[in-house]
Amino acid sequence: MLEDKISSNESEGAFNDFIEDKIEDAIEEILNEGNLDTLGDKGSEIIIEMDDIVPPTFVYGDEGQGGGKGGRGPGREGGKIVFNLPFNRFMQLLKEKLHLPNLLKEGKGKIKEVSYEFKTFGTTGVILDKKRTFKRALRSSIGTGKYNPVENDYTVDFRRRDRRYKIPERVENPKFKAVVFYMGDISYSTHGQRLEMEKRLVNFIKNWLDFNYGVNNVEHRFFVHDIKAYEVQEQEFYKVGNIGGTRAYIVFDLIYQIAFNEYDISSTNFYGFYFGDGEIFGSDSKDIGKILKESIVPVFNRVGILEVLPSQWSKLVLDLSKDFIKDRIVRLSKIHRKSDTINAIKTLFQEI
Amino acid sequence: MRLISTDKTLAHLEERVKYFAGQMGRTLPEIRFFILDQLEFASLLEKHVYPTSPVNIWEGKRMVTKKFRIESGQESALYYEVVQTGNPSYAYLNNTNSAMMQASVMAHVVGHCEFSELNVLKDSNPDRTEYVMYLVKKVNAGQQQMGEKKYLTYWNACESVIPLISPHSQYNLDHSVEGDIHPRKQSKPSPDEIKSKEYYRPFSFTMENLLKTSDPLNAFEKEQQKKNHQEQISRTGFRLYRPCQDILGFLKNYAPTSRAEQAILDYMYVSHSTHDFVIRTQIMNEGWAMYWEKKIMLELFKEKAVKGIIDYSKVFSGVCAPRPFFMRNPYHLGYHLWNHIEELYQKGKVSLDYMEEMDVETRRKWNKETGLNPLECMNHLVRTITDYEFIRRFLTEDLVYEFHLNRIIKQHAEHYGINKEAVVKENNYYVWLDPKMVKEEMLSFFTHFQRPRIYVIDTDFIDGGLLLFHRNDGRVLRKTWIEPTLKNINYIWKSAVSLLSGEKLYSYSNRKFEERAMKEVPFEQVLERLDNNQKPISL
Repeated sequence: MLEDKISSNESEGAFNDFIEDKIEDAIEEILNEGNLDTLGDKGSEIIIEMDDIVPPTFVYGDEGQGGGKGGRGPGREGGKIVFNLPFNRFMQLLKEKLHLPNLLKEGKGKIKEVSYEFKTFGTTGVILDKKRTFKRALRSSIGTGKYNPVENDYTVDFRRRDRRYKIPERVENPKFKAVVFYMGDISYSTHGQRLEMEKRLVNFIKNWLDFNYGVNNVEHRFFVHDIKAYEVQEQEFYKVGNIGGTRAYIVFDLIYQIAFNEYDISSTNFYGFYFGDGEIFGSDSKDIGKILKESIVPVFNRVGILEVLPSQWSKLVLDLSKDFIKDRIVRLSKIHRKSDTINAIKTLFQEI
Repeated sequence: MRLISTDKTLAHLEERVKYFAGQMGRTLPEIRFFILDQLEFASLLEKHVYPTSPVNIWEGKRMVTKKFRIESGQESALYYEVVQTGNPSYAYLNNTNSAMMQASVMAHVVGHCEFSELNVLKDSNPDRTEYVMYLVKKVNAGQQQMGEKKYLTYWNACESVIPLISPHSQYNLDHSVEGDIHPRKQSKPSPDEIKSKEYYRPFSFTMENLLKTSDPLNAFEKEQQKKNHQEQISRTGFRLYRPCQDILGFLKNYAPTSRAEQAILDYMYVSHSTHDFVIRTQIMNEGWAMYWEKKIMLELFKEKAVKGIIDYSKVFSGVCAPRPFFMRNPYHLGYHLWNHIEELYQKGKVSLDYMEEMDVETRRKWNKETGLNPLECMNHLVRTITDYEFIRRFLTEDLVYEFHLNRIIKQHAEHYGINKEAVVKENNYYVWLDPKMVKEEMLSFFTHFQRPRIYVIDTDFIDGGLLLFHRNDGRVLRKTWIEPTLKNINYIWKSAVSLLSGEKLYSYSNRKFEERAMKEVPFEQVLERLDNNQKPISL
């Protein structure tokens, strides 16, 4: 045992595996209940709390303790353990759980992201590579006889020619840009459960797209409509009140105009998601179907149309499903309860 | 981890420390010093001071938490001393310590190693570390055989039983179970038994023999009993004749196990058995180590082998800082008690004359030669007593005051809810409690070490199941933990397990947990019934 290392790496690995299983179980629970409220701000770490694990044994305890809210049995004694799960890791786990493929990205090669990586080394430069320099110096010192441990001489000479510097190399990575249009029907009451469901979905879509493209490469834009369509800030997307009357076609037209006029269609990835109660009138669904087919589908990567808490008069999804059943771009879904959220996500993003 | 010989300075210090220890007549085993870095130290502590351990999630969890706490500054990675006593002993030095600190650690370790060699509980063990390393290999091999899931389940079950280990209890395996592994130990006869014993007469004392009548029925019963005992031992391999408090030891020896499961139990037992020794002798042990550390360090400072006596004094006074009795500092209490004992023997105060002297002033000035060597007397104490007797015999009420054991900061006293009737003195900042009460509290700790006392009292209770008994000490067990603990013991014992606690009988069998009311049975009654070879409890 002249030189060895005492470590608990294997046990830590076993514990990490155990926690991974627990985290997957926690995510499973989140998904089953449609409880996507745990998603924090985009790019931030997700905090997962779970009961601490403690081996049970015979200990003193006051009478009645443990009866309460159920959760004070063995394994709960130590309180909670908190894990910070990096955002990307969390989205990766969600992706695996939901079997979501990576989003197809257009615009490859058109926009480049430039970075510098230190892949090579040279005799001149600014940043000294200490390890390499020392190795060379040691080799030289041994060769010249200056370094001689047998005679207790540990001199290492650093000559100019031994110095090695890190040399940066320009690397171009394709950068993908995405724009997401969120469309909301404000002609019905958006409050309470409806509001919560919409928020949950919008939050997930935002995070999912940020995960796929990178947080700084996605632009999120919010639009609302009743008989008119206009752009709003995100906070207002949920707050704008009921004016009366509705015409959904106009918002689709608006987003198409914006996509066409404000962005480079060939290099930008477009996504559009519509949230409404599905109660439309006249030829609205026909017009929407037409603009989707002729204008939007050729340009957009994905379009989602979601009826949130539909009523017996909701027919938007029904009408559109005649033209867009199992369509690769246009995805239709209805959400009746919280637990339908996950199915809606799968409908929006899974491969057909 | 590297040998101390890789560092010249430390190797030299080691040689000097051992030299002075030898000069002072210390009894030492072989001591091997190693140098570790901070994280290795943390890992070593999680492995119960053995260099290896089987893979387990509990150690992983503790290490992950500890690393986080060290990195976030909530915990210091600086450890004083870590030693696994035995022959050879393995002592570990933290590479961040200065040479002076390393010397003090080595001197301290010398005290611990000697204490372990000499103490009445006979803690020292040849090749203990090597044996544990061997067991670790067996466990790791067993893990392959059992499979990951079964291994984890069995390990987790054993974790429940770890606190139920008492190799030094008066109800340990040697004094409660007889069998192939543990033949029955003859306990010392009581004074009554000695009195009633017949004295042997010369064989030609015919009248005595003629008048002596033996009851044939009693003889028959005795013979029958003996036969039953032998049959039971032959059938099961053991017979429980007294309550057994060393439950983990009992399961290790007598639970039906596969080889892999046996390896886990063996490892758990050996790696945790020293805790019992530590808890029974911590004050004496740490005090002994501090006492010899100081002596050796002063010699090292005299010969200038190390520098920094002022720094050493600061560290020493910090380590030996006084604390109230309920969070007593074993270093402080042990060190000062040993010094006090040395003074007592030096001044002849451990004598009948001194005990009989009533005059306070005479007692205070007492200084008479008794011909006793204080160090030899102290050695004798190490060989014969544990902390309970150490405190009972030498911690007087005056010393309770002197060591500040009964002194509490006033604010803290209010926070802890100290009974005002227990306060005998107070000022603006401190309160002082009744020293007699303080001593009683300290002694009562050694009754059960603040843990429930659980015993195995029957091995054939319900369907060949185990019956455990919780001895009444005025406190109840945490109810929500009884079922999972019984479930774990059931997993090890492979049969029904029951626990009698107060007026409740809890049973776990066939994945079902039951609770029923029962009349409370005192421990003494259980003891008596077992002594009379009767079933301790019947439903």
